[in-house]
Amino acid sequence: MNPDNIWQQLENSAAGTTIASSEWMFPTLETIHVIAIVTVIGAIAMMDMRLLGLASGNRTVRTVAHDTLPVTWTAFALATISGSLLFVSKATTYMVNPYFLWKLGFMALAGINMAVFHRYLAKGMNRWGEPEAAIPLNVKLAGALSLALWVIIPFCGRVIGFTLGLYTPS
Amino acid sequence: MSIGDWLFHMTELLRTTRLVEFSLRVSDWPFALWLQSHFYAIPTFQTFHILAIAVLFASTLMLSLRVLGISGADQTLEQTLRRHRPWIWAAVLALVASGIVLLISEPVRNMINPIFWIKMALLLVAVTVSLWFQRALGRRREQWDVSSKGHLSLRAASVAVVLVWCAVMAGGRWIAYAPV
Repeated sequence: MNPDNIWQQLENSAAGTTIASSEWMFPTLETIHVIAIVTVIGAIAMMDMRLLGLASGNRTVRTVAHDTLPVTWTAFALATISGSLLFVSKATTYMVNPYFLWKLGFMALAGINMAVFHRYLAKGMNRWGEPEAAIPLNVKLAGALSLALWVIIPFCGRVIGFTLGLYTPS
Repeated sequence: MSIGDWLFHMTELLRTTRLVEFSLRVSDWPFALWLQSHFYAIPTFQTFHILAIAVLFASTLMLSLRVLGISGADQTLEQTLRRHRPWIWAAVLALVASGIVLLISEPVRNMINPIFWIKMALLLVAVTVSLWFQRALGRRREQWDVSSKGHLSLRAASVAVVLVWCAVMAGGRWIAYAPV
């Protein structure tokens, strides 16, 4: 095989061929990926639910963020490492799969939403983040958008598993 | 004998049981046919299943981190337990409900699969350990608050409950990789 693009080169790399030819590595990485992603979604949902006023109403938004962010980032790092290794083993197949590309797009949106929240919306947190305080509409919208995106992202992830044979690299 | 050989042997054993007939009958149910013939049906229920375990696992993790004194120190143990307990058990219900749908969607692939039954056994262990752990926490909440210096048995249980749910998730992922 003559690698003529970066995805093919990745797939032909030592890591790519090792994972692809191993019986246990791919499912083991998938297992780590599932546990990590489930932790990311659950921790983010706790924060979103606080922003929407649906849970942890007796705590400040700041303490909820303080508790959930380290869990979110640790699990996200684990999900990224395991996800990248899964990707490398089938890079060309994933790159032509629309659900994989949608998944990346939705994750980018989730990242932008989170950045906007921490950069702009979080400014008045000391006021509206107090227990029982009214939460501004734009903050609630950021929480709702985050929840929606983190429902769509695993859905795209699941559909990838059913469509790998449908979209094949030319 | 390797694990693969043993699993293969167990599959052969399952093939001699009445589960074969039963799972074949289930796969003819109208609902099973509906699930099989709608492309997005199975991934949708799988997503629901994943979201349910996300709620359950993150809540369990946060409760355990509080018991270990790693996070949530602004809340008493009772407050933390009250925050997470209802979500954990609601998620268990959602998990079982979506799991039954997924079982109906591919009855033979699951019922004639030793890894599926190992997962079910692990699920029973996880539910039992969770119940026991939460009850033990509930009993102690008024006498003293658990911190990093709290009772060793409770700290050990808080780690065990997280690990056993990880094992359940691993079982779920490996159903697709049973040697046949």
